[in-house]
Amino acid sequence: MAGNNSKITVLDPGGQPSGIFGRRLNVDSPMFAIHDPVNQPRDTAEALSALKMAPRLDSLEGKTVYLVNTGFAGSKEFMEEAQDWFTKNHPEIKTVLRNKQTSMFTDEPELWKDIKENGDAVIFGVGG
Amino acid sequence: MESDYGVPTAPIVTARFADYVQRDTRSHGMSLRYSFPPYPVGWVSRETLHGYVEGIDPISGVPLMEEIISALTEPLTEAEKNYKPEKRPERPRLLEPDTEANLHRLFLEKGWTDGLPIVLPTEERVAEMLTGTDRAPDEYVGMMSITTHEERLKYTVEKVAVIAVMAGCRPEHFPVILALGASGRPAIPSSTTSWGSMMVVNGPIRNEIGMNSGLGALSPINYANSVIGRAWTLMSINLGDLRPGATLTASTGNTANYNNMCCAENEENSVWEPFHVRKGYKKEENTVSLFRGWNVLSFNTGPAQRMLEVAKSLAGPFGISLTFVIDPLVAKSLNTEGYDDPMKFSEWLVKNLEIRFKIPHMVNLVVVGGEMNPMWVTTDYVHFQTVEIDPWIPRAGIKKDARPLRMPEAVVCKDGSCGIQQ
Repeated sequence: MAGNNSKITVLDPGGQPSGIFGRRLNVDSPMFAIHDPVNQPRDTAEALSALKMAPRLDSLEGKTVYLVNTGFAGSKEFMEEAQDWFTKNHPEIKTVLRNKQTSMFTDEPELWKDIKENGDAVIFGVGG
Repeated sequence: MESDYGVPTAPIVTARFADYVQRDTRSHGMSLRYSFPPYPVGWVSRETLHGYVEGIDPISGVPLMEEIISALTEPLTEAEKNYKPEKRPERPRLLEPDTEANLHRLFLEKGWTDGLPIVLPTEERVAEMLTGTDRAPDEYVGMMSITTHEERLKYTVEKVAVIAVMAGCRPEHFPVILALGASGRPAIPSSTTSWGSMMVVNGPIRNEIGMNSGLGALSPINYANSVIGRAWTLMSINLGDLRPGATLTASTGNTANYNNMCCAENEENSVWEPFHVRKGYKKEENTVSLFRGWNVLSFNTGPAQRMLEVAKSLAGPFGISLTFVIDPLVAKSLNTEGYDDPMKFSEWLVKNLEIRFKIPHMVNLVVVGGEMNPMWVTTDYVHFQTVEIDPWIPRAGIKKDARPLRMPEAVVCKDGSCGIQQ
């Protein structure tokens, strides 16, 4: 090994970017599977760039807004408070409170379908 | 909901995670409109939550609920309509030449280590590490992220060799390190709950590379156990993209992350089939089994009934995952109680727990220890995966040094004379 003042060359320890991201799990995945790189679907950066935000509503008046409790601690109570806020401040907006049935990490296509068919917008909370 | 169902969405996340989720958004090619109440939301009074809802978003300074309504009604901007995810640049193979002292400082200050001194990965040392496998240096091994959502980093055999050198490994350890890399699983998955991990090696390689499966196998008294376990941590940091606060969110952290409870199973003194055989491998095959959880209760003794009592204290309403790390004397005791197959014990245990999902495979037993006493360690770890080591071992066999480095083995003495002389 070189002396104290001599310069040496070492290799960079970091991994290289892959352009591959984790995205979502199937509805019946066990909760731990979110950390499972084998079972997690993967999206490329190119596929992610194709994601599009939905057009916004002109107004929420007369619309149905789903409030979805994702399952983190306190989320259910927070969303109940949010629903009370809508009832008190915007009675013209209909709200529907739903709890995720599996975990905060999993996909729930049946719930998404319900929201699509019967709702106009959705509020998810509370992450953390 | 936004992309697949076309439903405008307003996600709410506590303000503590504002930076985290906004970075996540940038990674995912869609700039979601988050709103942020104060934190925490869990385990606070209803009055506090009411105040959050009636109050302002501390990040934006806007009344929270009005902000949420705007998130659903304000027209999309051009940037939101046409978002492009950022691409990270490739990293160079070599760092700029510098003195040893400066490079040690660089590795620390960049957060590339576990805070303990490392061995600098010079080209010479990495080349020597690569003699521990027949695989080409540029062969792809896998990819990893400690998060569930951010970009996975990919790595080659050479990159894993860099990690092995940093951890202080020798080429004889390298096949195990490569198997860990091939798993793609980080030892420190990001969660506010502070995960811990455990790795257990089975097969002949345990003894060939001098791993400890006996007395103090979980203690820092064995070279192979120490450096292999550490390598999984350094791998998670550098190949799993661990950045405190950015990708690592462990609120308290977990001391198991330093070494990941790296040990070997005491196959020789176990009355049961080795763990990997129970998972479908042959006894002569070499594997590393990976576990993950939170809690480790280190001192326990007593028969099966006592193990049930401890399990009850850890069980939630839905289910339980348990991995008991038991001394060979405990395995013999359970065998005497009628559990000649560990699965029989697992079935009995879950049957007697008041849980909704009774899954015997979620209760595992690993035999580790030196038969000083019938002690066992209780963990709530779940077994995730068993990885083959053999594909990474050279055809000519494990590359051992002429005089392999070994720490003192446990004193075994029948006449009382041992340990008197230093």
